[in-house]
Amino acid sequence: MLTAETIIQSLASGLLMGLLYGLIAVGLALIFGLMDVVNFAHGEFLMIAMYATFFLFGFFALDPLLSAPLVAAALFVFGAVVYLLIVRFAVRAKANAGMVQIFSTFGLAIVMRGLAQFFFTPDYRSVTHSWLGGKTVSVAGIFLPQPQLMGAAVAIAAFGGLYFFINRTDFGRALEATREDAGAVALVGIDKNRVFALGWGLGAALVGLAGAIMAMFFYIYPDVGASFALISYVTVALGGFGSVFGAFAGGILVGLVEAVTALVLPPSLKSVGIYAVYLLVVFIRPRGLFGSM
Amino acid sequence: MDQNFAKRRRRELLTAAMLVAAAAVVPLLVKDAYYQNIMVLTLMYAALSQSWNILSGYCGQISLGHALYFGLGAYTTALLFTKFGVLPWFGMLGGGVISAVMAMALGYPCFRLRGHYFVIATIVIAETALLLVQNWDWAGAALGITIPMHGDNWLTFQFPRSKLPYFYFALVLAAVAWFVTWWLEDSKWGFWWRAVKDNPEAAESLGVVVFNSKMGAAAVSAFFVAVGGGFYAQFVSYIDPESVMGFQFSLKMALAAVLGGIGTLWGPLLGAAILIPISELTSSHIGGSGRGVDLIVYGSLIVLISLARPQGLVSLFSRKKAPAR
Amino acid sequence: MTISRRDVLLGGAAAAALAPIASRAEASEVVIGIIYPFSGASAQQGVDARKAYETALDVINGDHDFELPLAKGEGLPGLGGAKIRLVFADHQGDPQKGRGETERLITQDKVCAVIGTYHSAVAVTVSQVCERYQVPFLSADNSSPSLHRRGLKFYFRPAAHDEMFSAAMFDFFDAMKKKGTKIETLALFHEDTIFGTDSGNAQAKLAGERGYKIAADIKYRNNSPSLSAEVQQLKAANADVLMPSSYTTDGILLVKTMAELGYKPNAIVAQDAGFSEKALYDAVGDKLEGVISRGSFSLDLAAKRPMVGKINALFKERSGKDLNDLTSREFMGLIVMADAINRAKSTDGDKIREALVLTDIPGEQTIMPWKRVKFDEMGQNNDADPVLLQYVGGKFVTIFPPQAAIADAIWPMK
Repeated sequence: MLTAETIIQSLASGLLMGLLYGLIAVGLALIFGLMDVVNFAHGEFLMIAMYATFFLFGFFALDPLLSAPLVAAALFVFGAVVYLLIVRFAVRAKANAGMVQIFSTFGLAIVMRGLAQFFFTPDYRSVTHSWLGGKTVSVAGIFLPQPQLMGAAVAIAAFGGLYFFINRTDFGRALEATREDAGAVALVGIDKNRVFALGWGLGAALVGLAGAIMAMFFYIYPDVGASFALISYVTVALGGFGSVFGAFAGGILVGLVEAVTALVLPPSLKSVGIYAVYLLVVFIRPRGLFGSM
Repeated sequence: MDQNFAKRRRRELLTAAMLVAAAAVVPLLVKDAYYQNIMVLTLMYAALSQSWNILSGYCGQISLGHALYFGLGAYTTALLFTKFGVLPWFGMLGGGVISAVMAMALGYPCFRLRGHYFVIATIVIAETALLLVQNWDWAGAALGITIPMHGDNWLTFQFPRSKLPYFYFALVLAAVAWFVTWWLEDSKWGFWWRAVKDNPEAAESLGVVVFNSKMGAAAVSAFFVAVGGGFYAQFVSYIDPESVMGFQFSLKMALAAVLGGIGTLWGPLLGAAILIPISELTSSHIGGSGRGVDLIVYGSLIVLISLARPQGLVSLFSRKKAPAR
Repeated sequence: MTISRRDVLLGGAAAAALAPIASRAEASEVVIGIIYPFSGASAQQGVDARKAYETALDVINGDHDFELPLAKGEGLPGLGGAKIRLVFADHQGDPQKGRGETERLITQDKVCAVIGTYHSAVAVTVSQVCERYQVPFLSADNSSPSLHRRGLKFYFRPAAHDEMFSAAMFDFFDAMKKKGTKIETLALFHEDTIFGTDSGNAQAKLAGERGYKIAADIKYRNNSPSLSAEVQQLKAANADVLMPSSYTTDGILLVKTMAELGYKPNAIVAQDAGFSEKALYDAVGDKLEGVISRGSFSLDLAAKRPMVGKINALFKERSGKDLNDLTSREFMGLIVMADAINRAKSTDGDKIREALVLTDIPGEQTIMPWKRVKFDEMGQNNDADPVLLQYVGGKFVTIFPPQAAIADAIWPMK
């Protein structure tokens, strides 16, 4: 039943979802670019952001659109604290630094799920009424849900802002410099730890934005991050670790491939398309689409 | 130096023999099925982790997709037995061989990848396999495979109540995996792997065939993990895709090695001996509350150990640095 | 096959292990194991189940004036007023964990019976272990039809399975068609787990037998980040009835995505699971006016049988929720098991099993719309008549079968 309308609708949905994947993943790419660390608790950061949105809605009737900056700010603090309390020590490890950072962040992910279950109970929650939730725009028979449209807009804005930030601000330059050579920046008086903590904060704040958007149309429970974790890693790796633009492109590609795969294969296999494209890309370009060699 | 080294090697072998002998007595003293079950799992994970350590520890190619080989072993054994009546002993061997071949076939393109690109490729390949099996009707798809049980029988390796045969099989498997590691550590392969791990470019210039040595490590590693998978299928007597190919297996075997000491001879064993009982006991004794406390305890332990002991817990035991070679 | 000396030795060891575990608690306390997911993706169902069992425990151990086995008077009269104690174990949705935990319940906590498990895949291994230790297993809320067909002697299921549930749906379609409603094409939407696969298979088979056309048969990955592509295909198929077999998470996402993509089916007839969960209606109830779900339980029964309302109140006190399809089955699970132990006058596995085989509880003495509780030779209760419920005005109304219905179906849904 492949009509033109079905195909266009699928591509449109895929594109919107893809931009959202990019927004979820960009924080991961940023942190990796800064210090070669993959945060295996990234999905749980998203979960915390969704809960934060949910509780702001529940207690203060704050619409996710309004709470998004608050959630991003809260996640900023959270990310910086996680760096200072855990990651700082993980990267300092003299032996097996790679494994230590994988497993310390992974352990953190398990703790976060446990804490979420302890404090928030395992009940499934959702933000029931929001300005955009459930609303949709229809153009010539193609339906574009407003929360996802907003997500796409936020994603594009976030990528634009991030580009400007990294290339045009002092702090952005400090980030870049620290990334290039952490030893040298110490000489010019930049505190490496401070830069890294701010980098983690920024990465977490971005996933906080994504969480606030997601809360408008997704369910929330302690394990919700798991659904997005692998897809975020693949998105970032596909675009090329360390490349913020790569995460953007990777997200769009993942969204489109997922949509197209579901048209030709049974939907239960739609992730296979994403995985196949990832493998194909890295077999040809071992550093992803836009990774530096 | 050389003599010291030979002496240390002999001492390692002796220690292992004594550990096996001591372990063999334990289930005769601890007769409770629940504790025996934990012991079997601990030994099985020790074997899995030891095999994982060959590729990821010694050779430095970090795989978080070994559940693929575990599942292949389990499915080969279970399918051959239930569909064709092939005894599980042959199934486990067959699964091992298939996995070794598969590991080399996948290694061919994957070993060009470095760092996180390689890690994610291993995860993605294992997930793909999981999805394919989940949609493969002949192999039971999501319904899985129930292995019918008809009383105690060594031929079909089935024992409805007794855990002892499983215990001894797992003990032998762990011992063999350890012994193979011990043996390879001092062979030219072990030398190559360490060279490849430390500096692939330099290894290449020293005449180490980097690619081939990675392929060798992958094959050995996958073989033993698959035998472990076949064992697991017999032990649980029911398998479904999630319960033998899920990410948690890849993770647990890696975690045991990391906690104990990655790339070391004793690390995986030590790691499994600590990790598996803790994870089983916490989920049994505090998991029933439904409040996630077991997750908090388990996760905190992982964070603390990996931060406090980056070399792994095995470093607590080494009084002096291993002699340089 | 020749028997070696080693075989004999091991056989001996096994026989020793097979001897009944003697030291089970006598009289004053009867210990029953309850095994559920208390952590992981399905923890919520486990936590709710715990509340249901604790409610049933209260009814049995306390003195209540209900026409329910064991409600009146305290404890089990058949065992000198012994009280029941429950031991909860977490299987995390993992068949291996379920197996290990069941062994622990049996060998360490000396439970005389086991009840579980929510996940059908875990019920497979739990029931195997119980069979080996000759401890009765009561499958309270597993709906996979393959479970009771494995020749197990210690397996009992008082509630319906997916083939019975699906048959009720098709009986309903047939009845609607007779009244002139147009029902020709069906769209199946099921997850790729044991539950979804069994349900999808049962529905596809029934559709074939009764002459309905399947316009779309979509198997999806559970807990997917997005269901746009799937909904797109459902929309394109535009069948007369959409039949989802989904848990809460995917159910919520399905309904939201349908609204976003402008797909409004004529009717939804759901295979329970997520569609009987409060969380789903809290999230998207406004879009589900008129949805139909199969179920084992209906609060409407409270009008005919006042104790249903009272028991619901007891449960609500603990959980803040009304009894639903799952929790009601869990509640009944403990009642049925306790009734058998009481009649067995023993905590011995074989004696309890014999008592379970002889179980015959009339439907009026349950909180369910069942005819009665009586097990066939495979341990299945074939008289556990399912009902179809329609979500109207914020609550469920029984619409089928006619003898239980209190209203006609609203078709198409709003």
